[in-house]
Amino acid sequence: MSVEQWVFYVLAAIAVGGAAVTVFARDIVRAALGLIVALLMTAGVFVLLSAEVIGLVQLLVYGGAVAILILFALMITRAREVTYRLDGPQKPLALLAGATLAAAIGVAVVGTVFPTNTDHINPVGFVEMSTALFQTYAVPFEVASLVLLVALVGAIIIARQEERQ
Amino acid sequence: MIPLDQVLVFSGILFALGVYGVLTRRNAIAILMSVELMLTAVNTNFIAFGVFHRPSLAVGLVFAVFVITVAAAEVGLALAIILRIYRQRTTANVDEVDILKW
Amino acid sequence: MNHYEVLAPELVLLGLAFALVTLELLFPQLRKDLVAYLTAASAIGVLVASAFFANRSDSFKDLIQLDNYTTFFRILFLGTAALLAIASAHLVRDKLSNAGEYYGLLLLGVIGATYMAAASELLTAYIALELLNFTLYVLVSFDRKDPRSGEAGLKYILLSAFASALLLFGISFIFGVTGTTSYAGIRHALEAGIGEYRGTLVVGLVLLLTGLGFKVAAVPFHMWTPDAYEGAPLPVTAYISIVAKAAGFALFLRLFSQAFMPVISDWRWMVALLAALTMVFGNLIALQQVNIKRLLAYSSISQVGYMLIAIAALSHDSATALLLHLGGYAITNLAAFIAIIAFYNATGGEEIRDFRGLAERHAGLAMTLTIALFSLAGMPLFAGFMTKFILFQAAAQHGLLWLSAFGVVTSMISLYYYLMVIRQMYVLKPRDGDGRLRVPLLTSAVLVVLALGIFFVGIWPTPLFRAAASATRLLF
Repeated sequence: MSVEQWVFYVLAAIAVGGAAVTVFARDIVRAALGLIVALLMTAGVFVLLSAEVIGLVQLLVYGGAVAILILFALMITRAREVTYRLDGPQKPLALLAGATLAAAIGVAVVGTVFPTNTDHINPVGFVEMSTALFQTYAVPFEVASLVLLVALVGAIIIARQEERQ
Repeated sequence: MIPLDQVLVFSGILFALGVYGVLTRRNAIAILMSVELMLTAVNTNFIAFGVFHRPSLAVGLVFAVFVITVAAAEVGLALAIILRIYRQRTTANVDEVDILKW
Repeated sequence: MNHYEVLAPELVLLGLAFALVTLELLFPQLRKDLVAYLTAASAIGVLVASAFFANRSDSFKDLIQLDNYTTFFRILFLGTAALLAIASAHLVRDKLSNAGEYYGLLLLGVIGATYMAAASELLTAYIALELLNFTLYVLVSFDRKDPRSGEAGLKYILLSAFASALLLFGISFIFGVTGTTSYAGIRHALEAGIGEYRGTLVVGLVLLLTGLGFKVAAVPFHMWTPDAYEGAPLPVTAYISIVAKAAGFALFLRLFSQAFMPVISDWRWMVALLAALTMVFGNLIALQQVNIKRLLAYSSISQVGYMLIAIAALSHDSATALLLHLGGYAITNLAAFIAIIAFYNATGGEEIRDFRGLAERHAGLAMTLTIALFSLAGMPLFAGFMTKFILFQAAAQHGLLWLSAFGVVTSMISLYYYLMVIRQMYVLKPRDGDGRLRVPLLTSAVLVVLALGIFFVGIWPTPLFRAAASATRLLF
């Protein structure tokens, strides 16, 4: 097995571990940290898949912005001080659903021969990606900027505190 | 070389963990975190399918960029709503919003 | 190749949305209901302009199609937005803040909805869906004084994010096995032979359907709908029940008819199952409701069931029937909601028992609401009967007779809970101290027009039918 495969296994294992902490941990701040670990390790996987740009974006956006936002929200809502039942009554059902899903995906994927599946990675060129992003898929690009606008305006409207009259 | 199958199994596990988290967790922020896991798994899929194709498909990477964009915006908006509820009910129990029957 | 006129109406809407927000910024003393009427007028303007695009066939970079299907839905969404803007006027002025953003978001949502219907490629469709969703997240949480609004918004955004993730995972698998995200490309890839990747394809389809099922609120994915409907401000509830559903089905129909036809045997039974579950449970749970918003929520869930029948029986006839039903459904729901909004503005009441004796307090309002409810139940002479009849007929012709039977039976059950409301209005006397109600003139005019529309579609559906048929012809 090549070095790449080893690195992939390590990254994947840590990522899955982090994800497990996110969904199973009793302490919610630990869960948030588990999430950060999972997301950052996945950024590493992206780099391994020769999609360095996306890996970088993942690092910046998730590791930089989303993680900080979540931690802030946890601090402001004092989530850690609350002890509440983490496990709802649906736990066995959820376990079943999750396990079935993982199994279904695993079986489907391993048994499938994907068309034009080569065994080596063809990196996507920078020029290629720019053309795709700004020319071929121009409409989603513009609409995505509208999505961001709505999120921005909406967050301000919703979270803004009224001035004392 | 990393086989495509293994990358997909990895993303499948992340996805299943995320689904479990959404169905089980009671805290709104925890649910949000589980959704982020799911979306990361989705991104892994798109990128993997994009590069393991001859010729490589840029749309896979482009899709991943947009998913990251939307996911980040979603987190921002959801946290704004959570903040509002927290202030209104002056309680930290974000998971106990149940004026409306769940 | 760059045919910008395909995008023109949405670009105008975008400019309008900005103008509305800036208007409130620059002229804060402007009467808020003036902003509403401005929105409505401009939306109708864009509607008329888009009607000129009828019978043209064009596409923008193969991402957005301009055809009769798009035009049909553009008109539907713009008309709904215009009427809801008028209906929101008093409510926004009196109870909500940030009026400019409210109307701007209304229009931005229409852009998202239109592109969902017009997209011929998965990325565009998804982003448009998210645009609509985001505007709804904000609009549902818009009422700062009502704690139910924020709670509804929270539940809505969390479950909708979950659904989006499921949908995306399904899309990623479809992308993986076909190597493309354009609908036509997917169709070609599937026609070329499925062979070794059926497993992944099926898993992808199941997840895709689950995600879409959440979005249109089919059973068992309907959980958030009643809470979102109850907590949101009334016009927003109407917006969700009409625009979000219609857009969801527009996407559903175009996607499945253009991309997944070759594998119809794999997914037909799934959609049929969803349809059956939705019709049965939507109607059964509606029987227990006491809040009118929740009642309408479950009513719209069961309507989704009928519409899913059309997708299960995918063909030109059933697609035409679906569009026809969506048109009738839009008019009917608009009538019902605007009547309820007028009632709420006058009295603040939302429970069914608040409607006691409405026939004496305001005959016109009671009459319009009754007409709308009868139409939803599918009584003959009303739009609902005609559109459902055509729908069930189309389904029966394509081997789904059992589904049509379900539809007929559950329709009859639904009559009961609609009659509950009508009974409150006509049979019971108003409580002491409940006087006559005042309804603004413009609202009354709108209600009269809508009521006439219901009868028009119910008695002479031909024009709408022809429009729907020409809209769906290109799909098959």
